[in-house]
Amino acid sequence: MSDLAQNTLDGLFLGSSYALLALGFTLIFGVLRRVNLSFGPAVMFGCYAATWVNLNFGAGLVLLALVTILGSILAGAYVERLCFAPHRGGSAIAAMVASFALWMQFEELASIVLPRHLYDFPPLHGGAPLAFGAMTLRIESLVMLFAALLMCALLWWILYRTRFGVAVRAVIDQPQAAQLAGINVPRVFMLTFALASAIGGLAGFLIAASHEQVTPMLGMWSTMKGLLAMMLGGLGSLPGAVLGGLALGLLEAHSQWFFGPQNRDLIAYALIFILLAARVPWMTTRSAS
Amino acid sequence: MDDYAIGVLTNIGLISFLALSAYLLLITGEMSFGQQAFFGVGAYAGGMLTAMYGWSLPLAALCAMALGALAQFLVGLPTLRLRGLYFAMATLAAAEMARILFELFHFQRQLEGEPVGPDGSQGFRGIRWVFEHGVEPLEYLGMVYALLALALVAFLLVERSRLGATLRGVGEDAELAASLGVNVTRVKLGVAAAAGALAALGGVLYAHHNTYIEPRNFDIMLGVHSLAYALIGGLGTALGPLLGVVLDIGALEGSRVFQGYRMIVFGGLVALLLIWRPRGLLDERAVQWLRRRFS
Repeated sequence: MSDLAQNTLDGLFLGSSYALLALGFTLIFGVLRRVNLSFGPAVMFGCYAATWVNLNFGAGLVLLALVTILGSILAGAYVERLCFAPHRGGSAIAAMVASFALWMQFEELASIVLPRHLYDFPPLHGGAPLAFGAMTLRIESLVMLFAALLMCALLWWILYRTRFGVAVRAVIDQPQAAQLAGINVPRVFMLTFALASAIGGLAGFLIAASHEQVTPMLGMWSTMKGLLAMMLGGLGSLPGAVLGGLALGLLEAHSQWFFGPQNRDLIAYALIFILLAARVPWMTTRSAS
Repeated sequence: MDDYAIGVLTNIGLISFLALSAYLLLITGEMSFGQQAFFGVGAYAGGMLTAMYGWSLPLAALCAMALGALAQFLVGLPTLRLRGLYFAMATLAAAEMARILFELFHFQRQLEGEPVGPDGSQGFRGIRWVFEHGVEPLEYLGMVYALLALALVAFLLVERSRLGATLRGVGEDAELAASLGVNVTRVKLGVAAAAGALAALGGVLYAHHNTYIEPRNFDIMLGVHSLAYALIGGLGTALGPLLGVVLDIGALEGSRVFQGYRMIVFGGLVALLLIWRPRGLLDERAVQWLRRRFS
């Protein structure tokens, strides 16, 4: 019983990191109708920038968080300019393959600047986990969950309570009408990309600081988990992204406990495959060509 | 030719099968993230048949192709109605499942006191048919390119025929094609089976060239690379995917000029090239222009 509860807690922690990644993914997909395969690698770029700063100057956590977020935004802007701005209204496949090409660049750049396979990242909270009877709860888990919920609330506020949010929603619903109404669509794209990258950067910082390490695998990991959580929650829905992330985390934590790590991934992919093949309504109603 | 050049050229030939398989799906309007799985199925099946059961390579290759076709047909049945990203994600999920199943796959036989066969994540070593039958690297290279030429001729014939027009019609607008009396489901399933067979053939040749395969050879990176090769080479002709492979493996890896920076150079070139030509170098317009020029 306590194992079950402990796994649920671990799953929620894992799931909130997926939820944050999926939020960034969803924002880009919702506005551009394009998949950005370089989303994870841009986050990794931010984490590597922070690791580099930490190795050379030994900065504090707040500064490292800022460096990670700024690095991710910078990398995101590069991706947007080279892969998405030129293909606006054009080929979705070309944009996606171009974003994959930049992924290769980020990975090689990371391994040139910091060639070891693994680097330490300063811990978010060095102290012991909280204990409730037999169960333990890491402070990092609470921070991660809190950050995911806070980001979701912040995004909701931006989208539904600001002028920029109105413009973003208009572009999502009716891109041509939005343009005719005088909305600067390219600018909305750029700002959305920056916002999504900032959320990704925050996610990357929290993930690196709670695992206390960075590796070049972080890029692929973030892209895969974010993409899966986004699909699971229904493409382009922000609450769906959070729910999809949490569901994926819970599924992974429980199946890892019962069936081991390899079967954990097998089960997650099998579930995605079956849900897609069955065309469950919340996952396949939006057009995603 | 030195061994290095032969190795690079053989690799270009092998990967071209995978790129052709991605290309075949792209022209019928499907983007697959999972062709690496069928490449893997071919590699494992072909390797097991020759190394564990003593089959000859041609027979093993045929059998592996049939298996690859069947595998992609079965994956296609429930997924081909999905569009765009949904299909891509479904194929990605299927391919990652296959990769994990390769990791879990332990099946060995004792041959002359040695265990032979797939050993989970330890990989599968000793696929030595080529070596044991005295096939020289240059001869193997010739075999790979003869098969590739055969596949290309088949492609060029199909593309000039009514079937080719049907394929591209389905790719451009499946509903319109259906209203003209094309059985879209049948066409797509047939294409899926053919793409699976092509990928599997590449896989068999890959396994026998390397003599050693492991599950992580068949990860998402391989699949997205083959997609990128097809797209940068061009969707106008089956020579496009080949051009894509030659550009990356041949020009960048083979020349060793950009050693250590290859991915940065290749990645930047691909992104810039796609801005200039979103359907690749040899796209439909380039192909038409070339045809008019040379006929």
